[in-house]
Amino acid sequence: MSGALRSEAPARRLGKPRKSSGPRFTPLQTAILLLFAFYCLLPLWWMLTTLAKDNGQLFSTPGFLFALPSHLSENLHTLFTRQDGIFARWLVNSVVYAGLTAAGSMVVSAMAGYAFSKFRFTGRDALFNVILATIMVPSTALVLPIFLLMQQIGLINTYWAVILPGLVNPFGLYLMRLFWDAGFPSELMEAARIDGASEGTIFYQLGLPLVRGGLVTVALFAFVGAWNNFFLPLVVVNKEELFPLTLGLSVWNQTSSSSGQEPLYTVIVLGALISILPLVIAFLSLGRYWQGGLASGAVKG
Amino acid sequence: MTDLSLPTALQAPSPRRKKALANRFTPWFFLAPFLTVFAAFFVAPVGYALYLSLFIKKRGGFGPARQAFGGLTNYVRAFQDSEFLQSLLHILLFMVIQVPLMLLAATALALILDGVKNGFAGRFFRTAFYLPYTLPSVIAGLLWGYLYSKNLSPFNQITGLKTDFLASGILLFSIGNIVTWTWTGYNMITLYAALQNVPGELYEAARIDGASNWDLTRYVKLPLLRPALTLSAIFSVIGTMQIFSEPFVLRPLGYVPDNITPNTYLYLVVARDGNFSYGAALAVLLAVFTFILSGFFLRSVQGES
Amino acid sequence: MSYAQPPRLLKKTALLLSLALVASTALAADPAFPKAPTDKVQLEVWSWVPGLDKTAAEFTKQYPNITVKITNLGGGPQTYTKLRTAIEAKSGAPDVAQIEYGFLPAFADTGGLVDLSKYGASDFKKYFVPWTWGQVSPDGQAVYAIPQDTGPFAMVYREDLLKKYGIATPKTWDEYAKAAATVNTKSAGKVKLGNFYTTFAPWFMAMAWADGGQFFKRDGDGWVQTLNNASAKKVLNYWYALIKKGQIGTLQAFTADYWNAAGAGSVASNFEAAWGPGGYAGSLKDKSAGLWRVAPLPQWKAGGKVASGNWGGSSNVVTTQSKNKEAATLFSLWLNLSQTAITANWNNGGLFPASDAGLALPALDDKTKNPSKFFGGQNISAVYAEASRGVNVNFQWAPWFPAVNDNFNKQMDKMIKGQFTPDQALDAWQAETLAGAKKEGFTVK
Repeated sequence: MSGALRSEAPARRLGKPRKSSGPRFTPLQTAILLLFAFYCLLPLWWMLTTLAKDNGQLFSTPGFLFALPSHLSENLHTLFTRQDGIFARWLVNSVVYAGLTAAGSMVVSAMAGYAFSKFRFTGRDALFNVILATIMVPSTALVLPIFLLMQQIGLINTYWAVILPGLVNPFGLYLMRLFWDAGFPSELMEAARIDGASEGTIFYQLGLPLVRGGLVTVALFAFVGAWNNFFLPLVVVNKEELFPLTLGLSVWNQTSSSSGQEPLYTVIVLGALISILPLVIAFLSLGRYWQGGLASGAVKG
Repeated sequence: MTDLSLPTALQAPSPRRKKALANRFTPWFFLAPFLTVFAAFFVAPVGYALYLSLFIKKRGGFGPARQAFGGLTNYVRAFQDSEFLQSLLHILLFMVIQVPLMLLAATALALILDGVKNGFAGRFFRTAFYLPYTLPSVIAGLLWGYLYSKNLSPFNQITGLKTDFLASGILLFSIGNIVTWTWTGYNMITLYAALQNVPGELYEAARIDGASNWDLTRYVKLPLLRPALTLSAIFSVIGTMQIFSEPFVLRPLGYVPDNITPNTYLYLVVARDGNFSYGAALAVLLAVFTFILSGFFLRSVQGES
Repeated sequence: MSYAQPPRLLKKTALLLSLALVASTALAADPAFPKAPTDKVQLEVWSWVPGLDKTAAEFTKQYPNITVKITNLGGGPQTYTKLRTAIEAKSGAPDVAQIEYGFLPAFADTGGLVDLSKYGASDFKKYFVPWTWGQVSPDGQAVYAIPQDTGPFAMVYREDLLKKYGIATPKTWDEYAKAAATVNTKSAGKVKLGNFYTTFAPWFMAMAWADGGQFFKRDGDGWVQTLNNASAKKVLNYWYALIKKGQIGTLQAFTADYWNAAGAGSVASNFEAAWGPGGYAGSLKDKSAGLWRVAPLPQWKAGGKVASGNWGGSSNVVTTQSKNKEAATLFSLWLNLSQTAITANWNNGGLFPASDAGLALPALDDKTKNPSKFFGGQNISAVYAEASRGVNVNFQWAPWFPAVNDNFNKQMDKMIKGQFTPDQALDAWQAETLAGAKKEGFTVK
């Protein structure tokens, strides 16, 4: 399928980002934008109004309005002290999982993308297509094989069990290949070779700086993927100290309402909101990069 | 990885042979890390799943089942399994309605945002639109679970209705809404980025030719969006086929059919009924089915152009 | 009972009584547990009982060479998924795991559970409430688990609301139906007397269980499944009639929606297992606190012994992958028979004991603590203890019950929508799951 998605035409330099032209939004356009922003933000707004409520207020006060008195400090206290403060541990775990996955995935994809982009070798296109096709295999079915495999090599209940499978990201590879195609002209490579630069130097010192946008994009996607991962840790981690946030919160959500303890509704909402903050920050600060990255991935056809 | 030069042994031969060798081995050197992990965590599990799918459980009276070679029995069973086939229908329905709606919205929003000066408003809207994408799908499911809850739902509070968003008749749409909410902004950003990357001269040329705004959109921007849109559509189709977290999280809140999506059904076959072999066969079929759908889709897109 | 000036005699009696109480607790000492292994052992335990790590620490105090690592993977489904995977993979399973009774045969069927009779568990049968032993040892030979907690069924109700509508606590289902109509009329439809959980097959089955209904049976070298048995049909038709008249609600158990309604007084009663009141006390907190009471399950016939069913409850299994099966068995027995453990399990997790002596546990009716406190200081455990003794001993489950459990929701959905009559729903439930079980290779009629 990849053949259709990427052309074999010589790489074109990315067009310079263009200052958008044209007038201001028409009233109709403004209305559409506002309406959709409202749709996107309303559930998040609900989280904001809810995280400082207690369970009583959750039911008795209007959902989209803040309620007094605020129970924020109480909820924060519960969130960070329940089970000896394991939530903080989960937060750290998620950062470690996502951070290492992002870094690793970036390196691995950059190298592999480089190989696919800059070298001709037997079976190149077939291999590339096979790798891309694997995103169609639903992960739910790989539970047992992955578990078995990790058990064999002693990875169950380790950080690596959650990180390693995330390093291979077919979409990241695809993006990196496009970036290498577009960002690093083959002529430049040839010139460097003639000058006697080693392959490593060409890749590391000459090439990588030219595809920085791609690296950030791939890292960001890998970060999000790892941060959101739920199913893999569910299968390969059996220790609460190793849970990521998603799994931990879901376990709390499951156990709290029927076990004779007070349900943690609003505390979980607070935890959920905290769990997305790192991603929001990452996107806000790196938005320029990854938008550029997506564009170069998408515009080539 | 500061020094990636080749081992000295390979550097001994003449420059020409050296270059040929370098060309032969260098790509594999760069591929090695990716392929190693890929082989371990993709190829091996998929291979094992394929192998597993050829076995069936044999029982005699009480006591544990035995694994026995069953050939294609599991695959034959899948094609006769009305629950599974129905789950595919559910997801086809989803694809026909949700994916186009989402992409239509994403395209419209991207075009609007692209048409206007890039000020604070543009930044605000782009941020607002992709914020939902930052929510892990488990968390998004949890959040919407509250918003769908009959008595708790702020929507019901405001409208004074008692809509049951989780009623089996509209559940698929409620899940569709969660997916749309999460992914529209993401797709919008992709398309917007593609539009932003088009060289400005192209538009200027069109304007000089006397093209109206609408002409510009219809004859210049939309065709330019085509590749990005195709990519978005393919990923949406694949993503749709694998919807799992949302129904999984909603299950404790009400009746969510086992086969609401193929992936939930597959999960239950494995995790609830303990039939890993049948689950593996279903996974293989699902992957093949996704492949065919994507291929079919691509062909129809290419056929038009 | 408060006397300004207690007579001497009474004081003396009180003293004697408390002495007797001390004596009786001493008498109900723990059974003699099997000997602990002499070498150092670490056990891994998967359980979702709150506070179990602290209880396990108590165990280590008594058996210093056995340390226990507790992992809470979340309620049923998540723990089951992991356990199944580990059993199938033939490694990675814990020594001990918590499994609900209904799901026990499914795990026994994997071959991954140890027959504990080989480790002397049968000797402890006499310490458990008889029906619980039937759950863990369906054929009376092999013992697949040690009973942990139980969910005998009783009625929880709002005393204030029933009083308000002039209703006496219903003792029979006839009275209950009449009460439902009265509440509906007098509250102009705002308050429902009860609630039917359409997505909790075990809740419904407990109702039929109380009536002697049997859903699964071993027969020769196969099974007989009768989900559409006479009791089931009687019970479902009864409830459906009330639902149709709008006198009974259909909220989902354990959802924010249900607790909201219960706290707001729009549900006047419900049927809950013995572990249920803890959830009321915890979830409703100060809302409607002190207004709830517990009464025995209404009966189909007035008078006679109170018959009840069981909803939920769980057991502890030892996996075949355990390297310390003796120690694991010892822990499972201690966890569910020692006074220390069952007291802690009740206090931390609201686990209603499966042990016979446990039913008389002093902690169960501590009026200063929840759930008794929430229930107006009523000795609710006495009601549940009586219910536990009235649970049919012969009730059984089948290995494919997890699928049966989920299929119930589908049929109830159709029934509530009016596409099925109760009888048709039960027939479909029977037919579809029977076909499914056969496909999985079970010998079943």
